[in-house]
Amino acid sequence: MKSLRTSLATLSLAALLGGGAMAAEPIKIGVVTPLSGTYAGIGQQVRWGLELATREVNAAGGIDGRQIELIFEDEEANPAVAVQKAEKLFQVSKVDFLTGTVNSGSTLAVGQLAERSGKLIATTVSFADSITGDKCSPNVFRVNAKAGQQSAALAAWLSKEKPQAKVFYLGPDYEMGRSTVAAFKSNVDRVGGQSLGEVFAPLDSKDYTQYFGQLRASRPQVLYTSVAGNDTVRLFTQLDEFGLLNNLTLLGASGTVTAQNITAIGKAAEGFVTGVGYSAEIDTPANKKFLAAFRAANKADPDLYGADSYGLIFAYKAAVERAKSTDADKVREALRGLKWSTPQGEKTIRAGDHQAEQIMYVVRVSDGKFKIVGQVDGPAAIGPDACTRF
Amino acid sequence: MRDELTIKSHAGYWLAALLLLAGLVVAGVGFATGDVFYLRLASEALIFGGLALSVDILLGYTGLLSLGQALHFGLGAYVSALALIATQSFWTAMGVALAAGVLGGLVGGFIANRVRGVYFALITFGMAQVSAKVVYNTRSLGASDGLIGVPVLDINFGFFSLSSASPTAFFLLALAILLLLYFLAAYLLDTPFGRLLIAVKANERRVPFLGYRTATLRLGSYVLAATIATLSGALYPMLRGFVSPELLFFSTSGNAVITVILGGAGTLVGALYGSVLLTVIKSVVGSWTEHHLIVIGLLFMVVVIFLPNGLMGLIQPGIRARLARGGRR
Repeated sequence: MKSLRTSLATLSLAALLGGGAMAAEPIKIGVVTPLSGTYAGIGQQVRWGLELATREVNAAGGIDGRQIELIFEDEEANPAVAVQKAEKLFQVSKVDFLTGTVNSGSTLAVGQLAERSGKLIATTVSFADSITGDKCSPNVFRVNAKAGQQSAALAAWLSKEKPQAKVFYLGPDYEMGRSTVAAFKSNVDRVGGQSLGEVFAPLDSKDYTQYFGQLRASRPQVLYTSVAGNDTVRLFTQLDEFGLLNNLTLLGASGTVTAQNITAIGKAAEGFVTGVGYSAEIDTPANKKFLAAFRAANKADPDLYGADSYGLIFAYKAAVERAKSTDADKVREALRGLKWSTPQGEKTIRAGDHQAEQIMYVVRVSDGKFKIVGQVDGPAAIGPDACTRF
Repeated sequence: MRDELTIKSHAGYWLAALLLLAGLVVAGVGFATGDVFYLRLASEALIFGGLALSVDILLGYTGLLSLGQALHFGLGAYVSALALIATQSFWTAMGVALAAGVLGGLVGGFIANRVRGVYFALITFGMAQVSAKVVYNTRSLGASDGLIGVPVLDINFGFFSLSSASPTAFFLLALAILLLLYFLAAYLLDTPFGRLLIAVKANERRVPFLGYRTATLRLGSYVLAATIATLSGALYPMLRGFVSPELLFFSTSGNAVITVILGGAGTLVGALYGSVLLTVIKSVVGSWTEHHLIVIGLLFMVVVIFLPNGLMGLIQPGIRARLARGGRR
């Protein structure tokens, strides 16, 4: 009897020690993100955000005493490469969790791989509604705002500022341009605005003046556009040169005016309004602390990608601590309905479609800088749960 | 009679047999260790090897540089993905891909073969870019997001069946199909048709004086290459479960050309070896540094300058010499 008890004690001690040894092992998070090519700038922000959060969590004792280890792979913004690299991280590096995918195609393809491999992923960048909509997966989470949230926030602001606004739409003529215009149009119709007409200009158009006749004839109060990059520069300066910006409010997608083209647009960008999930202007102690730490570490300001990626690590930490495990099924349960705080305020992961609900900000360009002019509560912006798979 | 070209193609057969042997060893080791990643990476290398093989038929034999072979590869991938989502049948997918390959080859060849030299390269490049843009903007094809949800297959061979979810089984299937395509191409290029293609490459103006229509020869070579590229592409969604417009982009076509140069143009089997080598290098170097494109670029330059016949230029002379000795005996 006594020997049995001793051996039991030894066993449980061994189990404890074993458990201790297990706990000291780092938690591996794979990051498949574009480190080269067109999207390298976004990948850089993702990397800075994740690394900063990881340093902070590790310095504070890690997740349940386990340190976080990030393993980076370059996906070249190509789904075929992303899937191959993700499989390497899942199978060879045995990562517990994966994030970093930027273009929606990569997120969808890697999400399917995760589902077939029994792992979890989260995106902090991709904004295609389908990821947490009709193509949702039980193994995919999104902690950034989707396109629908940005557009709903903007429409909510519009209905408050300019009730029954008359809106004209000008989009780039490709699939994404048409779908962003269609999404904002349905939001405008929902809040009681009036849609006057829409035109689509080819990508890289040099001359937008051919559309100005139609634009003027319909007498809009608001012009919504989802062109991006240098197209925005040309569109806005030509609107300005033709004197069409008087009494016209410019609205747009979050990628229409960015830090990259705002200087080139110059004064024509004044008054441009868009909806975003993060702005460095957010005036909260949490954001000020994050800003200072991010600037000190990277000598650059965070953008929404950096901030959302930073926030993800804390969501994963909270979920693992709640689940007391890194097992995919347990962490999935813990992530569902999880509330956690991020630089842009509290976020909640909706259990029905794995989309994070968050306060959305409406920002306007004044003196060449984005200033927050309004905010829309999470529930008002997130829209209905369109995921039917789980 | 054993001439230089016969010896060359026999050397290719030996190297293909060696590849088969190496593949079987890899499959055995992979199966024993329960590996997933490396077997699937090797399957992907073989699939892209098929694309390179088709580039080599055009470049190494007929002297036509195609910068848009991804068009046919992507066509196969999309056609196969749509067929698999609709019917979940491997044989239907391959059948549809075969038809699409021949048809796509006839149409593409008819357009591209109206011009020669650098214009051929530009036309093939243009056709691939146009198709990529069309796919990129067609919502029913998934547009920029591509198509996910290609089902895991049970491939029925009558007396046995294998699952595309098993890395070993699918690797062996890919190995079998790619070697089959290789032997088919190698056989056809060893016939008088193949000799005529080499003649077209050497001196296209002279071939009509021998009584042959070069337009037919060039079209035949294009259709053969397009069909092989399409059938290889058809395997991609079975392996990865999705297709995306990036498969039709220039990066895919460009990679195939680099693969052929690396492996050795005009050797056929070099395309398969080159693909395995390039895939391994990309995977290893890509994890090590984000400047992997510089490494690949430097490697390409070194090969072009110091190994004009590629990897096969290093290995084949030895085998050829041995075969020639055997022939005299």
